[in-house]
Amino acid sequence: MNAIGFRTLFTKETRRFLRVPGQTLAQPIVTTALYFLVFGYALGGRVREVDGVSYIRFIVPGLMLLGLSQNAFLNTSSSMFIAKMQGTIVDLLVAPLGVVDLLLAYILAAILRGVMVGGIVWVISALFTGFSVSHPLWVLLFGVLVGATFGLVGLAVAIWSDKFEQLNIVPTFIITPLTFLGGVFYSANMLPPPWSYVSRVNPVLYMVEGLRYGVVGTSSSSPWLGLAVTGGIGLVSLAIAAWMLRTGYKLRS
Amino acid sequence: MNRDLAVETDGLKKRYGDLTALAGVSLSIEAGEIFALLGPNGAGKTTWISIVCGLVRASAGHARVLGHDVVRDPIAARKLVGLVPQEVNFDPFFTPREVLSFQMGYYGQRPDSARIDEVLRALDLQAKADTNTRALSGGMKRRLLIGKALVHRPRVVFLDEPTAGVDVALRRDLWSYVRRLRQEGTTIVLTTHYLEEAEALADRVAVIDHGQLVGLDTTAALLARFGNKQIRVRLTAPVARVGEPSSAALPSLPDWLKELGATVDVSGHVVTCPLGGMATAALLARLGSLQPAVADIDTEQPSLEQVFLALTGTTGASPAKAPQ
Repeated sequence: MNAIGFRTLFTKETRRFLRVPGQTLAQPIVTTALYFLVFGYALGGRVREVDGVSYIRFIVPGLMLLGLSQNAFLNTSSSMFIAKMQGTIVDLLVAPLGVVDLLLAYILAAILRGVMVGGIVWVISALFTGFSVSHPLWVLLFGVLVGATFGLVGLAVAIWSDKFEQLNIVPTFIITPLTFLGGVFYSANMLPPPWSYVSRVNPVLYMVEGLRYGVVGTSSSSPWLGLAVTGGIGLVSLAIAAWMLRTGYKLRS
Repeated sequence: MNRDLAVETDGLKKRYGDLTALAGVSLSIEAGEIFALLGPNGAGKTTWISIVCGLVRASAGHARVLGHDVVRDPIAARKLVGLVPQEVNFDPFFTPREVLSFQMGYYGQRPDSARIDEVLRALDLQAKADTNTRALSGGMKRRLLIGKALVHRPRVVFLDEPTAGVDVALRRDLWSYVRRLRQEGTTIVLTTHYLEEAEALADRVAVIDHGQLVGLDTTAALLARFGNKQIRVRLTAPVARVGEPSSAALPSLPDWLKELGATVDVSGHVVTCPLGGMATAALLARLGSLQPAVADIDTEQPSLEQVFLALTGTTGASPAKAPQ
Protein backbone atom coordinates (compact mmCIF):
# COMPACT_ATOMS: atom_id res chain seq x y z
CA MET A 1 0.00 0.00 0.00
CA ASN A 2 1.17 3.53 -0.82
CA ALA A 3 0.41 5.10 2.59
CA ILE A 4 1.60 8.60 1.69
CA GLY A 5 -0.26 8.42 -1.61
CA PHE A 6 -3.48 7.38 0.10
CA ARG A 7 -3.14 10.13 2.75
CA THR A 8 -2.44 12.69 0.05
CA LEU A 9 -5.53 11.77 -1.95
CA PHE A 10 -7.66 11.72 1.21
CA THR A 11 -6.34 15.18 2.15
CA LYS A 12 -7.04 16.47 -1.33
CA GLU A 13 -10.58 15.04 -1.39
CA THR A 14 -11.30 16.54 2.03
CA ARG A 15 -9.80 19.92 1.20
CA ARG A 16 -11.83 19.97 -2.00
CA PHE A 17 -15.19 19.98 -0.22
CA LEU A 18 -14.00 22.21 2.62
CA ARG A 19 -12.86 24.78 0.06
CA VAL A 20 -16.44 25.35 -1.09
CA PRO A 21 -18.30 25.17 2.25
CA GLY A 22 -21.27 27.14 0.95
CA GLN A 23 -21.95 24.43 -1.60
CA THR A 24 -20.86 21.36 0.31
CA LEU A 25 -21.83 22.11 3.92
CA ALA A 26 -24.10 25.16 4.20
CA GLN A 27 -26.44 24.28 1.33
CA PRO A 28 -27.44 20.82 2.65
CA ILE A 29 -27.75 22.25 6.14
CA VAL A 30 -30.19 24.93 4.98
CA THR A 31 -32.15 22.36 2.95
CA THR A 32 -32.47 19.87 5.77
CA ALA A 33 -33.21 22.60 8.28
CA LEU A 34 -36.09 23.68 6.04
CA TYR A 35 -37.37 20.09 5.89
CA PHE A 36 -37.15 19.99 9.62
CA LEU A 37 -39.05 23.22 10.12
CA VAL A 38 -41.74 22.59 7.50
CA PHE A 39 -42.36 18.88 8.10
CA GLY A 40 -41.60 18.95 11.79
CA TYR A 41 -43.84 21.85 12.61
CA ALA A 42 -46.49 21.71 9.88
CA LEU A 43 -47.05 17.96 10.15
CA GLY A 44 -45.93 17.70 13.73
CA GLY A 45 -49.06 19.53 14.80
CA ARG A 46 -51.26 16.81 13.28
CA VAL A 47 -49.09 13.73 13.84
CA ARG A 48 -48.13 14.23 17.42
CA GLU A 49 -46.43 10.92 18.02
CA VAL A 50 -45.02 8.03 15.97
CA ASP A 51 -43.99 4.73 17.59
CA GLY A 52 -44.08 6.47 20.97
CA VAL A 53 -41.78 9.33 19.91
CA SER A 54 -42.78 12.93 19.23
CA TYR A 55 -43.01 13.47 15.47
CA ILE A 56 -40.51 16.29 15.48
CA ARG A 57 -37.95 14.02 17.14
CA PHE A 58 -39.00 11.06 14.98
CA ILE A 59 -37.92 12.75 11.72
CA VAL A 60 -34.46 13.83 12.94
CA PRO A 61 -32.66 10.54 12.03
CA GLY A 62 -34.28 10.54 8.59
CA LEU A 63 -33.14 14.09 7.93
CA MET A 64 -29.65 13.17 9.15
CA LEU A 65 -29.60 10.24 6.74
CA LEU A 66 -30.86 12.44 3.90
CA GLY A 67 -27.94 14.85 4.36
CA LEU A 68 -25.44 12.09 5.07
CA SER A 69 -26.28 9.93 2.05
CA GLN A 70 -26.58 12.80 -0.44
CA ASN A 71 -23.29 14.35 0.61
CA ALA A 72 -21.34 11.11 0.72
CA PHE A 73 -22.65 10.33 -2.77
CA LEU A 74 -21.88 13.81 -4.08
CA ASN A 75 -18.37 13.88 -2.68
CA THR A 76 -17.15 10.89 -4.65
CA SER A 77 -19.37 11.31 -7.70
CA SER A 78 -18.56 14.98 -8.31
CA SER A 79 -14.85 14.55 -7.64
CA MET A 80 -14.44 11.53 -9.90
CA PHE A 81 -16.66 12.94 -12.65
CA ILE A 82 -14.90 16.33 -12.65
CA ALA A 83 -11.53 14.54 -12.74
CA LYS A 84 -12.71 12.57 -15.77
CA MET A 85 -14.09 15.63 -17.53
CA GLN A 86 -11.11 17.90 -16.72
CA GLY A 87 -8.61 15.16 -17.52
CA THR A 88 -6.94 15.30 -14.10
CA ILE A 89 -7.85 11.62 -13.61
CA VAL A 90 -4.61 11.01 -15.56
CA ASP A 91 -2.70 12.13 -12.45
CA LEU A 92 -4.18 9.29 -10.44
CA LEU A 93 -4.03 6.68 -13.18
CA VAL A 94 -0.35 7.23 -13.94
CA ALA A 95 0.65 7.49 -10.25
CA PRO A 96 1.60 4.40 -8.24
CA LEU A 97 -1.73 4.30 -6.42
CA GLY A 98 -3.32 0.88 -6.02
CA VAL A 99 -7.01 0.04 -5.90
CA VAL A 100 -6.95 -0.04 -2.08
CA ASP A 101 -5.27 3.39 -1.87
CA LEU A 102 -7.83 4.94 -4.20
CA LEU A 103 -10.85 3.29 -2.57
CA LEU A 104 -9.82 4.12 0.98
CA ALA A 105 -9.09 7.76 0.19
CA TYR A 106 -12.35 8.32 -1.68
CA ILE A 107 -14.48 6.42 0.86
CA LEU A 108 -13.00 8.07 3.95
CA ALA A 109 -13.43 11.55 2.48
CA ALA A 110 -17.05 10.69 1.58
CA ILE A 111 -17.69 9.39 5.11
CA LEU A 112 -16.15 12.51 6.62
CA ARG A 113 -18.31 14.87 4.55
CA GLY A 114 -21.45 12.77 5.10
CA VAL A 115 -20.91 12.47 8.84
CA MET A 116 -20.11 16.19 9.11
CA VAL A 117 -23.36 17.14 7.37
CA GLY A 118 -25.36 14.52 9.31
CA GLY A 119 -23.80 15.76 12.52
CA ILE A 120 -24.59 19.40 11.80
CA VAL A 121 -28.18 18.47 10.93
CA TRP A 122 -28.41 16.69 14.28
CA VAL A 123 -27.03 19.74 16.12
CA ILE A 124 -29.57 22.06 14.45
CA SER A 125 -32.38 19.60 15.20
CA ALA A 126 -31.21 19.11 18.76
CA LEU A 127 -31.73 22.83 19.38
CA PHE A 128 -35.45 22.06 19.04
CA THR A 129 -35.64 18.49 20.34
CA GLY A 130 -32.89 18.25 22.94
CA PHE A 131 -29.36 16.83 22.75
CA SER A 132 -29.99 13.30 23.95
CA VAL A 133 -28.80 10.33 21.87
CA SER A 134 -30.00 6.87 22.89
CA HIS A 135 -27.24 4.71 21.38
CA PRO A 136 -24.28 6.84 20.21
CA LEU A 137 -22.25 3.86 18.96
CA TRP A 138 -25.09 2.73 16.72
CA VAL A 139 -25.35 6.27 15.37
CA LEU A 140 -21.64 6.33 14.63
CA LEU A 141 -21.72 2.85 13.10
CA PHE A 142 -24.65 3.67 10.79
CA GLY A 143 -23.15 7.06 9.96
CA VAL A 144 -19.90 5.47 8.82
CA LEU A 145 -21.55 2.55 7.02
CA VAL A 146 -24.13 4.64 5.20
CA GLY A 147 -21.48 7.22 4.27
CA ALA A 148 -19.18 4.50 2.92
CA THR A 149 -21.99 2.82 0.98
CA PHE A 150 -23.24 5.99 -0.70
CA GLY A 151 -19.67 7.12 -1.29
CA LEU A 152 -18.99 3.85 -3.11
CA VAL A 153 -22.20 4.14 -5.12
CA GLY A 154 -21.21 7.69 -6.08
CA LEU A 155 -17.77 6.55 -7.16
CA ALA A 156 -19.15 3.72 -9.30
CA VAL A 157 -21.81 5.95 -10.89
CA ALA A 158 -19.22 8.63 -11.73
CA ILE A 159 -16.88 6.09 -13.33
CA TRP A 160 -19.77 4.70 -15.36
CA SER A 161 -21.15 8.11 -16.43
CA ASP A 162 -19.99 9.72 -19.64
CA LYS A 163 -22.12 12.85 -19.26
CA PHE A 164 -23.79 14.89 -16.53
CA GLU A 165 -27.20 13.51 -17.43
CA GLN A 166 -26.09 9.98 -16.60
CA LEU A 167 -24.48 11.17 -13.39
CA ASN A 168 -27.84 12.54 -12.25
CA ILE A 169 -29.90 9.45 -13.13
CA VAL A 170 -29.02 7.48 -10.01
CA PRO A 171 -29.54 10.23 -7.40
CA THR A 172 -32.68 11.57 -9.10
CA PHE A 173 -34.45 8.36 -9.99
CA ILE A 174 -33.14 5.91 -7.43
CA ILE A 175 -31.55 7.41 -4.33
CA THR A 176 -33.93 10.32 -3.71
CA PRO A 177 -37.17 8.30 -4.20
CA LEU A 178 -35.84 5.43 -2.08
CA THR A 179 -34.80 7.87 0.65
CA PHE A 180 -38.14 9.72 0.70
CA LEU A 181 -40.01 6.41 0.65
CA GLY A 182 -37.62 4.96 3.21
CA GLY A 183 -39.41 6.16 6.30
CA VAL A 184 -37.70 9.54 6.63
CA PHE A 185 -41.01 11.26 7.40
CA TYR A 186 -43.16 8.28 8.43
CA SER A 187 -43.01 4.87 10.04
CA ALA A 188 -43.55 1.80 7.89
CA ASN A 189 -46.07 0.76 10.56
CA MET A 190 -48.25 3.75 9.57
CA LEU A 191 -48.84 2.39 6.05
CA PRO A 192 -51.71 -0.03 5.37
CA PRO A 193 -51.00 -3.39 3.69
CA PRO A 194 -49.80 -3.98 0.99
CA TRP A 195 -47.80 -0.70 1.12
CA SER A 196 -46.26 -1.50 4.45
CA TYR A 197 -44.86 -4.70 2.87
CA VAL A 198 -43.73 -2.88 -0.29
CA SER A 199 -42.05 -0.30 1.88
CA ARG A 200 -40.05 -3.04 3.57
CA VAL A 201 -38.41 -4.01 0.27
CA ASN A 202 -36.71 -0.61 0.27
CA PRO A 203 -33.19 -1.02 1.69
CA VAL A 204 -32.96 2.65 2.69
CA LEU A 205 -35.78 2.00 5.18
CA TYR A 206 -33.43 -0.19 7.21
CA MET A 207 -30.70 2.44 7.15
CA VAL A 208 -33.15 5.07 8.42
CA GLU A 209 -34.52 2.71 11.05
CA GLY A 210 -31.03 1.76 12.16
CA LEU A 211 -30.07 5.39 12.59
CA ARG A 212 -33.41 6.04 14.28
CA TYR A 213 -32.71 3.30 16.77
CA GLY A 214 -29.41 4.96 17.56
CA VAL A 215 -30.78 8.49 17.90
CA VAL A 216 -34.22 8.04 19.50
CA GLY A 217 -33.94 4.47 20.82
CA THR A 218 -36.89 3.02 18.92
CA SER A 219 -37.41 1.70 15.40
CA SER A 220 -39.89 -0.35 13.40
CA SER A 221 -37.21 -2.96 12.57
CA SER A 222 -34.19 -4.41 14.33
CA PRO A 223 -31.01 -2.35 14.06
CA TRP A 224 -29.17 -5.61 13.41
CA LEU A 225 -31.29 -6.11 10.29
CA GLY A 226 -30.40 -2.55 9.32
CA LEU A 227 -26.74 -3.34 9.86
CA ALA A 228 -26.97 -6.47 7.71
CA VAL A 229 -28.79 -4.66 4.87
CA THR A 230 -26.46 -1.66 4.93
CA GLY A 231 -23.39 -3.88 5.18
CA GLY A 232 -24.65 -6.06 2.33
CA ILE A 233 -25.27 -3.12 0.00
CA GLY A 234 -21.96 -1.63 1.07
CA LEU A 235 -20.12 -4.84 0.18
CA VAL A 236 -21.82 -5.09 -3.23
CA SER A 237 -20.96 -1.43 -3.93
CA LEU A 238 -17.40 -2.05 -2.78
CA ALA A 239 -17.07 -5.04 -5.09
CA ILE A 240 -18.37 -3.06 -8.07
CA ALA A 241 -16.18 0.01 -7.42
CA ALA A 242 -13.10 -2.16 -6.78
CA TRP A 243 -13.74 -4.11 -10.00
CA MET A 244 -14.04 -0.85 -11.95
CA LEU A 245 -10.76 0.48 -10.58
CA ARG A 246 -8.93 -2.83 -10.95
CA THR A 247 -9.99 -3.41 -14.55
CA GLY A 248 -9.83 0.26 -15.51
CA TYR A 249 -13.47 0.16 -16.65
CA LYS A 250 -14.12 3.43 -18.54
CA LEU A 251 -10.88 4.79 -17.07
CA ARG A 252 -8.15 3.00 -19.00
CA SER A 253 -9.07 2.35 -22.64
CA MET B 1 14.43 -8.13 -20.21
CA ASN B 2 17.24 -5.59 -19.98
CA ARG B 3 17.47 -3.41 -16.90
CA ASP B 4 19.78 -0.94 -18.69
CA LEU B 5 16.89 -0.04 -20.92
CA ALA B 6 14.66 2.72 -19.63
CA VAL B 7 11.76 1.67 -21.82
CA GLU B 8 11.31 -1.47 -23.85
CA THR B 9 8.29 -2.44 -25.93
CA ASP B 10 7.91 -5.69 -27.85
CA GLY B 11 5.34 -5.97 -30.61
CA LEU B 12 3.04 -3.48 -28.99
CA LYS B 13 -0.37 -3.52 -30.63
CA LYS B 14 -3.55 -1.61 -29.94
CA ARG B 15 -6.82 -2.00 -31.76
CA TYR B 16 -10.01 0.00 -31.21
CA GLY B 17 -12.60 -2.11 -33.03
CA ASP B 18 -11.56 -2.07 -36.68
CA LEU B 19 -9.05 0.70 -36.17
CA THR B 20 -5.45 -0.31 -35.60
CA ALA B 21 -3.74 2.42 -33.60
CA LEU B 22 -0.51 0.47 -33.10
CA ALA B 23 0.50 -2.41 -35.34
CA GLY B 24 3.33 -4.03 -33.39
CA VAL B 25 5.84 -1.42 -32.32
CA SER B 26 9.09 -2.66 -30.79
CA LEU B 27 11.34 0.01 -29.34
CA SER B 28 14.21 0.06 -26.88
CA ILE B 29 15.13 3.33 -25.21
CA GLU B 30 18.36 3.43 -23.27
CA ALA B 31 18.60 4.93 -19.84
CA GLY B 32 19.75 8.54 -19.94
CA GLU B 33 18.93 9.35 -23.54
CA ILE B 34 16.57 11.90 -25.03
CA PHE B 35 14.36 10.03 -27.43
CA ALA B 36 11.91 11.68 -29.82
CA LEU B 37 8.85 10.04 -31.31
CA LEU B 38 7.74 11.66 -34.52
CA GLY B 39 4.79 10.96 -36.73
CA PRO B 40 1.76 12.56 -38.34
CA ASN B 41 -1.42 13.11 -36.33
CA GLY B 42 -3.02 9.77 -35.48
CA ALA B 43 0.19 7.84 -36.17
CA GLY B 44 0.08 6.12 -32.77
CA LYS B 45 2.63 8.13 -30.77
CA THR B 46 0.27 9.03 -27.93
CA THR B 47 -1.14 5.48 -27.87
CA TRP B 48 2.38 4.11 -27.44
CA ILE B 49 3.13 6.51 -24.58
CA SER B 50 -0.26 5.85 -22.99
CA ILE B 51 0.36 2.10 -22.95
CA VAL B 52 3.79 2.52 -21.38
CA CYS B 53 2.34 4.85 -18.74
CA GLY B 54 -0.56 2.50 -17.99
CA LEU B 55 -3.35 4.70 -19.34
CA VAL B 56 -4.18 2.37 -22.22
CA ARG B 57 -4.13 -1.43 -22.24
CA ALA B 58 -2.28 -3.04 -25.13
CA SER B 59 -4.15 -5.53 -27.32
CA ALA B 60 -0.90 -7.50 -27.66
CA GLY B 61 2.78 -7.17 -26.84
CA HIS B 62 4.66 -6.06 -23.76
CA ALA B 63 5.96 -2.82 -22.33
CA ARG B 64 8.55 -2.46 -19.58
CA VAL B 65 9.92 0.52 -17.70
CA LEU B 66 13.39 -0.10 -16.28
CA GLY B 67 12.62 -3.81 -16.35
CA HIS B 68 9.17 -3.59 -14.74
CA ASP B 69 6.31 -4.89 -16.86
CA VAL B 70 3.59 -2.22 -16.95
CA VAL B 71 0.81 -4.84 -16.70
CA ARG B 72 2.28 -7.44 -14.33
CA ASP B 73 4.11 -4.97 -12.09
CA PRO B 74 2.23 -1.70 -12.67
CA ILE B 75 2.91 0.06 -9.37
CA ALA B 76 6.70 -0.44 -9.61
CA ALA B 77 6.66 0.72 -13.23
CA ARG B 78 4.53 3.81 -12.50
CA LYS B 79 6.75 4.88 -9.61
CA LEU B 80 9.51 5.50 -12.13
CA VAL B 81 7.64 7.63 -14.65
CA GLY B 82 6.35 11.15 -15.05
CA LEU B 83 3.95 12.05 -17.83
CA VAL B 84 3.10 15.35 -19.46
CA PRO B 85 -0.14 14.49 -21.27
CA GLN B 86 -1.04 16.10 -24.56
CA GLU B 87 -4.29 17.59 -23.29
CA VAL B 88 -3.99 20.44 -20.82
CA ASN B 89 -5.77 19.66 -17.57
CA PHE B 90 -6.08 21.52 -14.30
CA ASP B 91 -7.81 21.07 -10.99
CA PRO B 92 -9.99 24.13 -10.40
CA PHE B 93 -9.97 23.76 -6.62
CA PHE B 94 -6.26 24.16 -5.97
CA THR B 95 -3.17 26.31 -6.46
CA PRO B 96 -0.04 25.24 -8.39
CA ARG B 97 1.82 24.80 -5.09
CA GLU B 98 -0.90 22.48 -3.75
CA VAL B 99 -1.11 20.58 -7.04
CA LEU B 100 2.65 19.91 -6.99
CA SER B 101 2.50 18.92 -3.34
CA PHE B 102 -0.29 16.41 -4.06
CA GLN B 103 1.66 15.07 -7.00
CA MET B 104 4.68 14.31 -4.78
CA GLY B 105 2.36 12.58 -2.32
CA TYR B 106 0.80 10.35 -4.97
CA TYR B 107 4.29 9.06 -5.69
CA GLY B 108 4.85 8.22 -2.04
CA GLN B 109 7.03 11.26 -1.32
CA ARG B 110 6.46 13.68 1.51
CA PRO B 111 5.80 17.20 0.23
CA ASP B 112 9.13 19.03 -0.04
CA SER B 113 8.68 22.78 -0.27
CA ALA B 114 12.27 23.32 -1.44
CA ARG B 115 11.72 20.92 -4.34
CA ILE B 116 8.35 22.46 -5.16
CA ASP B 117 9.90 25.95 -5.18
CA GLU B 118 12.69 24.70 -7.43
CA VAL B 119 10.17 23.35 -9.97
CA LEU B 120 8.02 26.49 -9.77
CA ARG B 121 11.14 28.60 -10.37
CA ALA B 122 12.33 26.46 -13.28
CA LEU B 123 8.93 26.80 -14.94
CA ASP B 124 8.56 30.50 -14.17
CA LEU B 125 5.42 29.89 -12.09
CA GLN B 126 6.57 31.39 -8.79
CA ALA B 127 4.42 34.50 -9.15
CA LYS B 128 1.32 32.32 -9.54
CA ALA B 129 2.29 29.64 -7.01
CA ASP B 130 -0.55 30.47 -4.63
CA THR B 131 -3.16 31.52 -7.19
CA ASN B 132 -6.01 29.22 -8.11
CA THR B 133 -5.13 27.24 -11.25
CA ARG B 134 -8.28 28.60 -12.91
CA ALA B 135 -6.53 31.97 -13.09
CA LEU B 136 -3.52 30.63 -15.02
CA SER B 137 -3.09 31.35 -18.72
CA GLY B 138 -3.00 28.46 -21.20
CA GLY B 139 0.79 28.51 -21.33
CA MET B 140 1.02 28.55 -17.54
CA LYS B 141 -1.32 25.58 -17.27
CA ARG B 142 0.90 23.67 -19.69
CA ARG B 143 3.96 24.58 -17.64
CA LEU B 144 2.22 23.33 -14.53
CA LEU B 145 1.61 20.03 -16.33
CA ILE B 146 5.34 19.78 -16.92
CA GLY B 147 5.96 20.57 -13.26
CA LYS B 148 3.58 17.81 -12.20
CA ALA B 149 5.47 15.32 -14.35
CA LEU B 150 8.84 16.32 -12.90
CA VAL B 151 8.30 17.25 -9.27
CA HIS B 152 8.71 13.70 -7.95
CA ARG B 153 12.03 13.28 -9.81
CA PRO B 154 10.98 10.41 -12.09
CA ARG B 155 13.68 8.38 -13.80
CA VAL B 156 11.77 8.34 -17.09
CA VAL B 157 9.80 11.36 -18.26
CA PHE B 158 7.29 11.19 -21.09
CA LEU B 159 6.56 14.52 -22.71
CA ASP B 160 3.63 14.30 -25.11
CA GLU B 161 3.76 17.56 -27.09
CA PRO B 162 5.25 19.43 -24.13
CA THR B 163 5.75 22.81 -25.74
CA ALA B 164 2.58 23.18 -27.80
CA GLY B 165 1.24 26.66 -27.15
CA VAL B 166 4.29 27.73 -25.14
CA ASP B 167 6.06 30.93 -26.18
CA VAL B 168 9.51 30.91 -27.75
CA ALA B 169 11.47 32.15 -24.73
CA LEU B 170 9.94 29.58 -22.44
CA ARG B 171 10.38 26.88 -25.05
CA ARG B 172 14.13 27.56 -25.01
CA ASP B 173 14.13 27.51 -21.21
CA LEU B 174 12.33 24.18 -21.24
CA TRP B 175 14.83 22.74 -23.68
CA SER B 176 17.63 23.78 -21.31
CA TYR B 177 15.74 22.19 -18.45
CA VAL B 178 15.27 18.96 -20.40
CA ARG B 179 18.99 18.86 -21.18
CA ARG B 180 19.76 19.44 -17.51
CA LEU B 181 17.46 16.58 -16.54
CA ARG B 182 19.31 14.32 -18.94
CA GLN B 183 22.62 15.36 -17.38
CA GLU B 184 21.17 14.29 -14.04
CA GLY B 185 20.46 10.87 -15.53
CA THR B 186 16.77 11.21 -16.39
CA THR B 187 15.55 9.50 -19.54
CA ILE B 188 13.35 11.74 -21.67
CA VAL B 189 10.87 10.46 -24.23
CA LEU B 190 9.10 13.18 -26.14
CA THR B 191 6.66 13.50 -28.97
CA THR B 192 6.57 16.78 -30.74
CA HIS B 193 5.09 18.46 -33.75
CA TYR B 194 8.05 20.80 -33.84
CA LEU B 195 10.73 18.96 -35.77
CA GLU B 196 13.09 21.73 -34.76
CA GLU B 197 12.53 20.60 -31.18
CA ALA B 198 13.46 17.00 -31.93
CA GLU B 199 16.54 18.16 -33.86
CA ALA B 200 17.62 20.38 -31.01
CA LEU B 201 17.11 17.84 -28.24
CA ALA B 202 16.96 14.22 -29.33
CA ASP B 203 19.81 11.73 -29.34
CA ARG B 204 17.64 9.30 -31.25
CA VAL B 205 14.47 9.61 -33.24
CA ALA B 206 11.75 7.08 -34.05
CA VAL B 207 9.27 7.84 -36.79
CA ILE B 208 5.86 6.18 -36.48
CA ASP B 209 3.30 6.16 -39.26
CA HIS B 210 -0.04 4.34 -39.35
CA GLY B 211 0.85 2.56 -36.12
CA GLN B 212 4.14 1.20 -37.45
CA LEU B 213 7.74 2.08 -36.85
CA VAL B 214 9.11 3.39 -40.18
CA GLY B 215 12.41 4.84 -39.02
CA LEU B 216 14.68 4.60 -36.01
CA ASP B 217 18.21 5.87 -35.59
CA THR B 218 20.32 8.60 -34.09
CA THR B 219 19.25 12.03 -35.22
CA ALA B 220 22.57 12.51 -37.02
CA ALA B 221 22.29 9.18 -38.87
CA LEU B 222 18.73 9.88 -39.97
CA LEU B 223 19.73 13.31 -41.23
CA ALA B 224 22.70 11.86 -43.10
CA ARG B 225 20.58 9.11 -44.65
CA PHE B 226 17.38 10.95 -45.52
CA GLY B 227 18.20 14.64 -45.19
CA ASN B 228 19.53 16.57 -48.16
CA LYS B 229 21.71 19.60 -48.04
CA GLN B 230 20.30 21.90 -50.70
CA ILE B 231 21.44 25.00 -52.48
CA ARG B 232 18.91 27.66 -53.43
CA VAL B 233 19.70 30.09 -56.24
CA ARG B 234 17.81 33.25 -57.11
CA LEU B 235 18.20 34.22 -60.77
CA THR B 236 18.15 37.69 -62.31
CA ALA B 237 15.50 36.53 -64.83
CA PRO B 238 13.00 33.68 -64.85
CA VAL B 239 13.55 30.25 -66.42
CA ALA B 240 11.07 27.59 -67.51
CA ARG B 241 9.99 25.12 -64.84
CA VAL B 242 11.44 21.63 -65.25
CA GLY B 243 9.28 19.59 -67.64
CA GLU B 244 7.60 22.65 -69.12
CA PRO B 245 8.37 24.09 -72.61
CA SER B 246 11.02 26.79 -72.86
CA SER B 247 11.13 29.92 -75.04
CA ALA B 248 13.43 32.83 -75.77
CA ALA B 249 11.89 34.73 -72.87
CA LEU B 250 11.82 31.69 -70.61
CA PRO B 251 14.98 29.62 -71.25
CA SER B 252 15.38 26.11 -69.95
CA LEU B 253 17.75 25.10 -67.13
CA PRO B 254 20.94 23.46 -68.40
CA ASP B 255 20.77 19.64 -68.52
CA TRP B 256 23.54 19.11 -65.91
CA LEU B 257 21.43 21.03 -63.37
CA LYS B 258 18.33 19.04 -64.25
CA GLU B 259 20.31 15.81 -63.83
CA LEU B 260 21.21 16.86 -60.31
CA GLY B 261 17.49 17.04 -59.54
CA ALA B 262 17.06 20.81 -59.56
CA THR B 263 13.57 22.27 -59.44
CA VAL B 264 12.23 25.70 -60.31
CA ASP B 265 9.59 27.47 -58.25
CA VAL B 266 6.37 28.95 -59.67
CA SER B 267 7.91 32.39 -60.20
CA GLY B 268 10.70 30.88 -62.33
CA HIS B 269 13.27 32.85 -60.36
CA VAL B 270 14.25 30.35 -57.65
CA VAL B 271 16.11 27.13 -58.43
CA THR B 272 16.54 24.56 -55.67
CA CYS B 273 19.15 21.87 -56.14
CA PRO B 274 20.10 19.01 -53.80
CA LEU B 275 23.83 18.81 -53.33
CA GLY B 276 23.88 15.04 -53.24
CA GLY B 277 27.51 13.90 -53.40
CA MET B 278 28.69 17.04 -55.19
CA ALA B 279 31.02 19.42 -53.38
CA THR B 280 29.51 22.85 -52.76
CA ALA B 281 32.53 24.59 -54.30
CA ALA B 282 32.25 22.59 -57.54
CA LEU B 283 28.58 23.45 -57.87
CA LEU B 284 29.20 27.11 -57.18
CA ALA B 285 31.89 27.18 -59.89
CA ARG B 286 29.48 25.81 -62.47
CA LEU B 287 26.71 28.16 -61.36
CA GLY B 288 29.00 31.11 -62.24
CA SER B 289 28.39 30.48 -65.93
CA LEU B 290 24.64 30.08 -65.57
CA GLN B 291 22.36 32.20 -67.79
CA PRO B 292 20.31 34.04 -66.62
CA ALA B 293 22.88 35.12 -64.07
CA VAL B 294 22.74 34.28 -60.38
CA ALA B 295 21.50 37.12 -58.16
CA ASP B 296 21.71 35.37 -54.77
CA ILE B 297 22.61 32.00 -53.26
CA ASP B 298 21.86 30.32 -49.96
CA THR B 299 22.19 26.79 -48.63
CA GLU B 300 19.76 24.77 -46.54
CA GLN B 301 21.00 22.21 -44.01
CA PRO B 302 19.41 18.74 -43.88
CA SER B 303 16.38 18.76 -41.63
CA LEU B 304 14.21 16.26 -39.84
CA GLU B 305 11.37 17.59 -41.96
CA GLN B 306 13.07 15.99 -44.97
CA VAL B 307 13.53 12.77 -43.00
CA PHE B 308 9.91 12.90 -41.94
CA LEU B 309 8.79 13.53 -45.51
CA ALA B 310 10.94 10.72 -46.87
CA LEU B 311 9.66 8.20 -44.32
CA THR B 312 6.00 9.09 -44.13
CA GLY B 313 5.37 10.76 -47.46
CA THR B 314 3.79 13.69 -45.67
CA THR B 315 4.79 16.71 -43.71
CA GLY B 316 1.76 15.87 -41.54
CA ALA B 317 0.63 18.71 -39.36
CA SER B 318 4.20 19.18 -38.32
CA PRO B 319 5.71 22.54 -39.14
CA ALA B 320 9.46 22.34 -39.45
CA LYS B 321 9.93 25.34 -37.26
CA ALA B 322 8.31 26.28 -34.05
CA PRO B 323 6.28 29.48 -34.31
CA GLN B 324 8.44 32.48 -33.61
